[in-house]
Amino acid sequence: MSSETLTAHAGWRRRFIQPIARQRTAVLGLAILAVYVAAALLAPWLATHDPTAQDLMAAMQGPSAAHWLGTDSYGQDLYSRLLYGARLALVIGFASVAMGLVVGVAIGLVAGLVGGRTEWALMRLVDGLLAFPELILAMAFMAVLGLGTENVVYALALSFVGPFARMTRGDVLQVKGQPYIEAARLMGVPTRAIIWRHVLPNVVSPILVQAGMRVSIAILLESGLSFLGIGVVPPTPDWGLMIAEGRAFITMAPWISGVPGVALALLLVALNLVGDGLRDAFDPNSNRD
Amino acid sequence: MLRATLAKLAQTLLVLLLVSAASFTFLKLAPGDPVSIMLGADYSQAAYDQLVRELGLDQPLPAQYGHWLGAFLRGDWGTSYITNQDIFELAVLQALPVTLALAALSLLVALLIGIPASVLAALYRNSWVDVTATALAIGGNAFPSFYLGIILIWVFGVGLGWFPTLGFVAPWDDLWQGLWHLALPAITLGAWYVGLIARITRSSLLEVLGQPYILAAKARGEPAWRVVWVHGMRNVLMPLVTVIGLQLGGMLRGAVMTEVVFALPGLGMMVTTAVLNREYIVVQAGIMLTGLLFVAVNLAVDQTYQFLDPRLRRR
Amino acid sequence: MNSLSQLPAAPADQPPLLEARGFSLNRGKAAVLDGIDLTLRAGETLGLIGESGAGKSTLAMAVIGLLRAPEVALSGSLRFRGEELTALPEKAFRRLRGNQIGLIFQDATAALNPCFTVGAQIAEPLQRHLGLSKWDRRERAVELMQSVGIPEPRLRLNAYPHELSGGMQQRVMIAIALACNPALLLADEPTSALDVTIQAQIMELILERVRALNSSAVFVLHDLALGAQVCDRIAVMYAGQIVEEGPSAEVLARPLHPYTQGLKSCVVELGAHELQPIPGQVPPLSAMPGGCRFAPRCPKAQARCAEQRPAVEWREGRHIACWFPD
Repeated sequence: MSSETLTAHAGWRRRFIQPIARQRTAVLGLAILAVYVAAALLAPWLATHDPTAQDLMAAMQGPSAAHWLGTDSYGQDLYSRLLYGARLALVIGFASVAMGLVVGVAIGLVAGLVGGRTEWALMRLVDGLLAFPELILAMAFMAVLGLGTENVVYALALSFVGPFARMTRGDVLQVKGQPYIEAARLMGVPTRAIIWRHVLPNVVSPILVQAGMRVSIAILLESGLSFLGIGVVPPTPDWGLMIAEGRAFITMAPWISGVPGVALALLLVALNLVGDGLRDAFDPNSNRD
Repeated sequence: MLRATLAKLAQTLLVLLLVSAASFTFLKLAPGDPVSIMLGADYSQAAYDQLVRELGLDQPLPAQYGHWLGAFLRGDWGTSYITNQDIFELAVLQALPVTLALAALSLLVALLIGIPASVLAALYRNSWVDVTATALAIGGNAFPSFYLGIILIWVFGVGLGWFPTLGFVAPWDDLWQGLWHLALPAITLGAWYVGLIARITRSSLLEVLGQPYILAAKARGEPAWRVVWVHGMRNVLMPLVTVIGLQLGGMLRGAVMTEVVFALPGLGMMVTTAVLNREYIVVQAGIMLTGLLFVAVNLAVDQTYQFLDPRLRRR
Repeated sequence: MNSLSQLPAAPADQPPLLEARGFSLNRGKAAVLDGIDLTLRAGETLGLIGESGAGKSTLAMAVIGLLRAPEVALSGSLRFRGEELTALPEKAFRRLRGNQIGLIFQDATAALNPCFTVGAQIAEPLQRHLGLSKWDRRERAVELMQSVGIPEPRLRLNAYPHELSGGMQQRVMIAIALACNPALLLADEPTSALDVTIQAQIMELILERVRALNSSAVFVLHDLALGAQVCDRIAVMYAGQIVEEGPSAEVLARPLHPYTQGLKSCVVELGAHELQPIPGQVPPLSAMPGGCRFAPRCPKAQARCAEQRPAVEWREGRHIACWFPD
């Protein structure tokens, strides 16, 4: 009995396209991401100007030979700010996720492995963190810490601790209950070895998938915070900041917002595609956010 | 079943307490000395000490927390020292309804567009309809909402003049004006939602349509539209609600951005302005309120699972 | 032999209920069904016996119209009550399904929608085909549930599928299939997914209901002995073709086709000392051998078998497709 009798137009050859298409979009995302990473790494050499150098005489100009993508209201070169913006976005994105991951996984591991009252206390703490939407949490942390790039990384990292901690603990609990752990313990394998050799590897892979997907959220949050004025401070070349700055001039000089806007959108799409690909490859049954 | 509900309520209460504790801690951690801010420029040590005593700031922290919590529950959230407005009034009576209206309208728009589109995409899998819809869904979900809002304002507001670009009119005061003003913001936030809804609906529906009970319905002579929309979609509701519930944080994030871009006086706008003005007491109210909302909605979503999936009900 | 299948056949001058002449079904290059000839009269029960992949389920699906163009290509003739099914528009087919032709699925648990009550699912064909009012539907549903042996039917109306046992779920399936008193009931391995202890009960139930309604039934089974017990006639299928067809008691007692003989000897009989499986496997659908499809595995195969597809003969009261039947 074929289910294809119900879905129209599912041709027999097309049955094979879907899985490959999935890979294809992930590969496309990876390719785009690679371009951004290259731009970020090579920014100092690819840039034509100092990204924070102002030149009020050349302000608000469209693309030209001198300024390949035009200038903003302070006369800063958009092309150079674009490149450095990529660098900033990727650094903040990966750094905050990495930090949040390390702290969150540590908490989750301890909670899951130690159990008892420690677990209860830690998880209630995590519940408290998770009770707030991420952006609000990040905004609160920024209010306490103050503005600036470094603080943005810390604020975002703190916002990510919750999800990672909860996920890790869940995975640890699941692995703990598996028969092969019991078997290892019965064979007298020391606890440390069990953790290192059995628990960690099985917990790591879904965590990494989650981490991959979080990077796009991190970059979105970071540029969002900067857009609101609660993130990095000017004149840092941050895309969110640039979009905010260009907002007032949207009708007369749309490229001021346009350049960072399109760049940001494209990067986020690419990251989403890669994240989806990772999830499909390693954890196809998850419907976690 | 009663026991499970009670346990759930107890857990929720605990989380609410944690939320309040976190909010209280936030205010304590915030930079600046509220007393000196309130006293202004010149003040004597005696005046300072007196105010401290009045505000109860010389008490031990747990006592302060209890005092604060009591006041909070009574609806006494303090007064904004910038606008002199009662914060409870500002947050709950003014800002909250705006955010809720925006969220509701956006969700509605997203459902109205997303569900039919993804049903089509699922039925005509791998056709150009499907590819286009999926591409738009991914794009919509990933596109930064604050930039999308700006573009929409530029094209539809300023350029074509179809919609107003700023400001809020309450739909409950004036329905059409209200909706007209909320249209662009709802589309902005809706775009993010559509992406989410479309993807989960499509993949769920594909999975559901492959199930034997769908074939069985067809074998009973049910017409194709009913098989898809009644037999099929009913089973898609559960994963759909799950995802909407899980993504509440993302929705709020989008709402904050959208409010700021369109100058809607909602919670997001309130918190952002307060942070920029360093009015931490308002920020705290905002945090507390969003935390409460979050917990409440999560609880509500949890309860609907039982309603949606009969297999979860226990008799 | 069990007496379940003893009933006189319908008078021969009535047109057959279901008639297939050279009916073929192709999925791309694969000839899933090849030249099926079959006749089913009113009130008759027919067993389609064969191993997995023989095409028996496919045939049932084609009869109820769940396998049609453009997914598959149909050729030949398949008539139900004189109407040509291969050319029937979907709308007309919808009126047949659940109404004049009922289908019982193998896995009742999977075939019942988990989100709707059992009563609602039974009432569905009642509303669609008979247009009964809400009250009538409920009463009829209770009646149906009673007739299939579900205790406390009124209570069970509001039960969800997961609240019932496997046997109960299958009874519900039967009730749904019989809701509109279909002239033809298709039962696709109706007891395979059930506990052995319940299998006999369910089989008897289906037969009893079919007799009571004077309907015909086609049972898709993989068990030759069960088929012979339960049905008036048996059609043995191999690789998309019918290799032997005739009155069940006789086919079982004296199988003529080597495949049927092989099937019979696969069954462990009391007093037997060893199992005799049929060597080899069913060839893939896209790479069917020319000539007799069973030839590669047949212990009696000769040169002619590999070259020419055996014509269907009428021999000793049954149809047989073999060059060298016993």
